[in-house]
Amino acid sequence: MHINTANWHKYMALPAFLLFSLFFLFPLFRGLQLSFTAWDGFSTPEFIGLRNFIQFFSDKRALGDMKTTLLFALGSAPLLNLCGLSLALLLNSGFRGRHLVRSLVYLPAVISPMIMGSVWYLLLQPQRGIFYLWLERVSVEPGNWMLHHGSALILIILVNVWQYAGMTMIIYLAGLQAIPEEQYEAAALEGSGRWKVFRYITLPWLFPSIRINVITNIIGSLSVFEIILALTDGGPGYATESLSIYIMRMCYGNKTGYSTAVAIILFFIIMVPVLITLRGLNRMGESYE
Amino acid sequence: MNKKLMTIITLIVTAAALWAGGKQEVTELSFFSGRVETVEWTENIIAEFQALHPEIAVEHEYQNDASNVMKIKLASGEVPDLTTVVTQDFIDQGIFMDLSSQPFWNRILPSVKDLCTDLKSGRQFKVATNVTMGGLFYNKEMFSSLGLKDARTWDEFVANLEAIKAAYPEVDPLFLAGKDSWTLGHLIEFWVHGIIKQELGIPGSRQAFLDNDLGNLAFDVPGGLMESFASALLELQEKGLINADAVTATYDNQKEAFASGKAAVINQGMWVVGDIIKLNPAMTTNIGFGPFPPVMDGYKPMVLTAEDSVLAVSAETADWEAVLTFLEFLFSPEVQKEYCELRGMPSAFKDVQADWSPISGDVSRAVETYVNINFSTEAPSDLSVDDAGRLIQELLTGMYDSPYDFAKAYAAIWNAAY
Repeated sequence: MHINTANWHKYMALPAFLLFSLFFLFPLFRGLQLSFTAWDGFSTPEFIGLRNFIQFFSDKRALGDMKTTLLFALGSAPLLNLCGLSLALLLNSGFRGRHLVRSLVYLPAVISPMIMGSVWYLLLQPQRGIFYLWLERVSVEPGNWMLHHGSALILIILVNVWQYAGMTMIIYLAGLQAIPEEQYEAAALEGSGRWKVFRYITLPWLFPSIRINVITNIIGSLSVFEIILALTDGGPGYATESLSIYIMRMCYGNKTGYSTAVAIILFFIIMVPVLITLRGLNRMGESYE
Repeated sequence: MNKKLMTIITLIVTAAALWAGGKQEVTELSFFSGRVETVEWTENIIAEFQALHPEIAVEHEYQNDASNVMKIKLASGEVPDLTTVVTQDFIDQGIFMDLSSQPFWNRILPSVKDLCTDLKSGRQFKVATNVTMGGLFYNKEMFSSLGLKDARTWDEFVANLEAIKAAYPEVDPLFLAGKDSWTLGHLIEFWVHGIIKQELGIPGSRQAFLDNDLGNLAFDVPGGLMESFASALLELQEKGLINADAVTATYDNQKEAFASGKAAVINQGMWVVGDIIKLNPAMTTNIGFGPFPPVMDGYKPMVLTAEDSVLAVSAETADWEAVLTFLEFLFSPEVQKEYCELRGMPSAFKDVQADWSPISGDVSRAVETYVNINFSTEAPSDLSVDDAGRLIQELLTGMYDSPYDFAKAYAAIWNAAY
């Protein structure tokens, strides 16, 4: 008997599609539905149309959180790429112990950001943290850096970059190691300087890695949650609260319908720069080709 | 061969049927708790109960973020038979069983029964097995060396703290743990709402909170209660009477500072005593307990006396008799005595005598001497004690131009929460 296996691939994909539907599509559409309701999380949702979305744009706290989130992303995403690329270029050279150094640089990325934030809080806590005490010993008055929106946000960005630069580095490293040696040899023969080699050989070949890193860092930075919760809990007051934290607090504060609306708004806040960046990067990529 | 196989199969099936038939039918009860301090004790007590009642299996679930997990359970229709997570919203939704007619109320202090009474319906949907107290915990040696006594006015309170600062420059007179914003939120709940409760009485204040009708104690009244509170707190900060890192210090820092003698006074509840003694056993005889100071003239010092260790039963529980059997065991004098001594809190049951705390004498004295206030259970649930605490973080970091601006900000979020 002849069995037609031509369409088996469709059936093989079915379990994965079912899981995708259950854990992604269903929550997405259910969330979309709930965003148009006044729901406290356990009683019957009441349809209220676009009121949740309108409320967001008149909510000072929510708008403040959006500003904090954008500032964080503007600081964190470029810094992550710069540090990741620099580390990758450094560690791509053949020096003794480079494998160990690579592992150590990557290690923070595998630790939970909540734990990382708590550890850094122990180090940086005003009056009591280890760094604070060291600075006092050398007669430097560090002030209470967590008391002010600006300094607290810079701290959070630096801790975030410290944690995830390794992950960015690994992707750039993979890209660097895929560049054929002959390219560099040919450049050396022509007497090209380091900057020209980087600009015309390394960068174009690295483009797919740049694209992945830039996009993932934008998404990760705009949806920042744990590191802020662990370091400052969004404080002082709400000065460093991100939109993700705001969504969580609204959800568990009997405003579950409203929180899903804010989550949808956050989705667009992330998607718009991602699409613009992707478009820009694709154009740049075409010019390299 | 077939006959042999058939015989073996028959034997197996018969054995299985006998095993299933002989197996006692067991009723399963779900018990959902958010109390981290009593997880181990609860597991042990359930094991003791099940040894006595093998026909009832109690499945205990503890969650750190219990109030949020409870909402998820309710949304998915999995209401636990018994829970420690009880809020006014859940009561309003009819989630819990009416326990008003239960005989255990005859053993419970009338004041505790009042605190467990739902104002809207006049019924009891929860039962509390303990009473907790909150106030100012102070270092007895420091107070005694300076001849300090409980402050009855705000000025006396400030004078006490100034005396401590002068005599012990390395000690923080009053230690605030602002990073854990709920500790700051308690300042509003006890020092500010306490005045309202003192003015209107407990039943009156509960109704006033429900109706959002505070009259001239409303939070945005110029020169009123909340502005007075903000001014008072800023006065303490300006005079250096609170720790310099009041906004970034944690609850753990607070306990450590008090236990090690680096903080003279902390604003807390009885739940903190066990941890302090664990950190420094020598503090067993060195913890004093006093009232919250009144932030406005004309009012008296206050002590929190509130229901604790609350339990509620699901309105949809499948086996009420099994729940009742478990509650009868849980509420027995022997079990409750053990629980009181573990929690460090007195029992709500009249027939339970326990040695519940090394500072019970001081606490009882304060409860009898000063105005008793409760938790603001009728405050709007959309405004959490954490939210109130975050506003105080903003006050202490200079985000408000004046104490009155702070009062207006608090009034705004309070009113928005209704």
